[in-house]
Amino acid sequence: MLLLRLAMRNVRRNVHRTVLTAGTVLFGTALLTVALAWLTGVFGTLTNTMASFGGHARVMTTAFAAREELMPLSEHLQHADDLAAAAMKLPGVRAAYPRIVTGVTLTKGDEIGDQFGLAVGAPIGWYTDQLHLGKDIVLGTMFTGADGETVLGRTVAEAIHAQVGDTIIALGMTQDGAMAPVKAKVVGIASGGNQLVDNGIFLPLEPLRWMADVDDGATELLIYGDDKTQGKTLAAELRADPAFSNDVVQAWDEQPSTAGIVAMIGVVNSIISSIIVFVCALGVWNTMMMSVMERTREIGVMRAMGLTRPGTVVLFVVEGLFIAAIGGAVGVALGCIPAYALQVYGVNLGDKMAHSAGVPVQSHVYALLTVGVVTEAFLLGLCTALVGTAFPAWRAASIQPVDAMRSR
Amino acid sequence: MNRRFVLALLVASSIPVVAGLPQIAVAGEVAVPTADQLLSYVDKNMTFATRTATIKMTVVSPQRTRTFVMQTFGRGETESAIEYLDPARDKGTKMLRRGDEMWMWLPSVESVQKISGHMLRQGMMGSDLSYEDMMGAAQLRDKYTAKVTGAETKNGVLCWRVEMIAKDATVAYPKRISWIDQKTHIPISQELYAVSGMLLKVWDMSDIRTYDGGRQFPAKMVIIDKLKQGTSTTIEMTSITFGVALEEETFSQRWLERH
Repeated sequence: MLLLRLAMRNVRRNVHRTVLTAGTVLFGTALLTVALAWLTGVFGTLTNTMASFGGHARVMTTAFAAREELMPLSEHLQHADDLAAAAMKLPGVRAAYPRIVTGVTLTKGDEIGDQFGLAVGAPIGWYTDQLHLGKDIVLGTMFTGADGETVLGRTVAEAIHAQVGDTIIALGMTQDGAMAPVKAKVVGIASGGNQLVDNGIFLPLEPLRWMADVDDGATELLIYGDDKTQGKTLAAELRADPAFSNDVVQAWDEQPSTAGIVAMIGVVNSIISSIIVFVCALGVWNTMMMSVMERTREIGVMRAMGLTRPGTVVLFVVEGLFIAAIGGAVGVALGCIPAYALQVYGVNLGDKMAHSAGVPVQSHVYALLTVGVVTEAFLLGLCTALVGTAFPAWRAASIQPVDAMRSR
Repeated sequence: MNRRFVLALLVASSIPVVAGLPQIAVAGEVAVPTADQLLSYVDKNMTFATRTATIKMTVVSPQRTRTFVMQTFGRGETESAIEYLDPARDKGTKMLRRGDEMWMWLPSVESVQKISGHMLRQGMMGSDLSYEDMMGAAQLRDKYTAKVTGAETKNGVLCWRVEMIAKDATVAYPKRISWIDQKTHIPISQELYAVSGMLLKVWDMSDIRTYDGGRQFPAKMVIIDKLKQGTSTTIEMTSITFGVALEEETFSQRWLERH
């Protein structure tokens, strides 16, 4: 209690220094609040898109998984509809969709063009309930359920000069490698601001099954729970089910295409947070170090009067934490203002940047301000104080009373 | 001395004459033909002015076996046409090749698609044969420089082993090694290589039959694409007629769209 009172007194004793220290923490926490909200928003959207597109969990054959980058249609799941029905019986599974993704050449005329793309064949329910393609339609409509319909991503449609109402031919391959065409009428053009939608050639499942010549097969089975956090649980349930014992089951963040991105997100978050904490800690260290040097004689007297080394450390750390708590609280509050603005208005990166990112980043990105973000920013502000006061506190504790009292 | 001088002069003067003769040597008791002669024999058998054939093509892959029946028409080296008769999925599909250009009539989408470039070298109907393999009938002698490297027994048949190097980099198979039947002059086995030296395909021919004019032609071919795993394609000539009169329309886009 005495140490706490001493710490409070020190806080009030040099207001300029206290304000300077608090200002450093304030700046740091404000910056952390904005940065963390931004990263949460951007990466959250990215991972949500990946989990929506790739399923919270996914089933495929072992042979397909081994050569997935080649998308070998011959290694498809047979009787995928039966597998979907089996998956729906598992607790936690809310939806299961067989899907085919395969490379095609898209043309509007007679000559096979240079426009290659990935054709996606899935039940209409997947497009409406999981991909939410309806909200991305910028021209025309979603699938109406009639035969021979397609929705094209805006980039693809522009590349072949296709408009709503045009008939296109997607020339792909059967599972044996024979050319197989699908003719479809463009009913809608979609722009989701990311490559997955803008480069997409979306078709109902049956035409692509015919193209691939796989009867009731599919290259993958996508499984969805309530949200993407259930991915690993769903994957574990599927692995334990005999119906899937010969197949490969992956949670969304275990899939090769997403696992690397998820790991990268963690690294980027840590690096950015660490840099901000470190820079702000330097400021705190500077002012606290000044405090120790100014109070050398006083510390010596207190040490001579019985203040222990740990007590000296606690004295400075508590002083630092107190200042950081005030600075952090104000910093978080101030940081919430631009973070909220970014959450509401976002930033338009432009289609070019979004499409060249290599991952399904949205062209218009938004921050996401959550209680977790605010708490994390505040706690990291306190960390700033802890890191910044650690060395000065140790230095103060190392002062010998005799030397301190001798100094001027 | 004069006699010796005259004899030496005769021997010396005969050397250029012998050297100028075609390279006919003797291997055992059979005279080795020149590579050029062999290729001209092969071309005489394998190329044609016109031809129609009904072909059964069986494509074996690790997953399944598919059988196609097709009617083919050929005229010269660069014009050919194919119509698929079976299975139902592919019935009515037509292909037309004229020179370096190829078109396909795809009944499922009722559309003619032009195919060019690298697609000509893709497996036709997922088989081990490319469109170019199936629809081309070029003279080997025009495309390759060859040399006879010996006599070998291949698939139980006494053959000449001939190595061929393409004269032109645009040829699909820059190197070929052929085993040419010494009697029928049919390349009963061929190894087709990429420019890197990688073996791309092995093409065996058997059931050699004699047609009008003494032409020898294989009624069965087995092709294995070495870049694929566990696949093979067998072609059986159900019927074949050479020198048949073909309508001009057969090699036109009108024929493609006629159904």
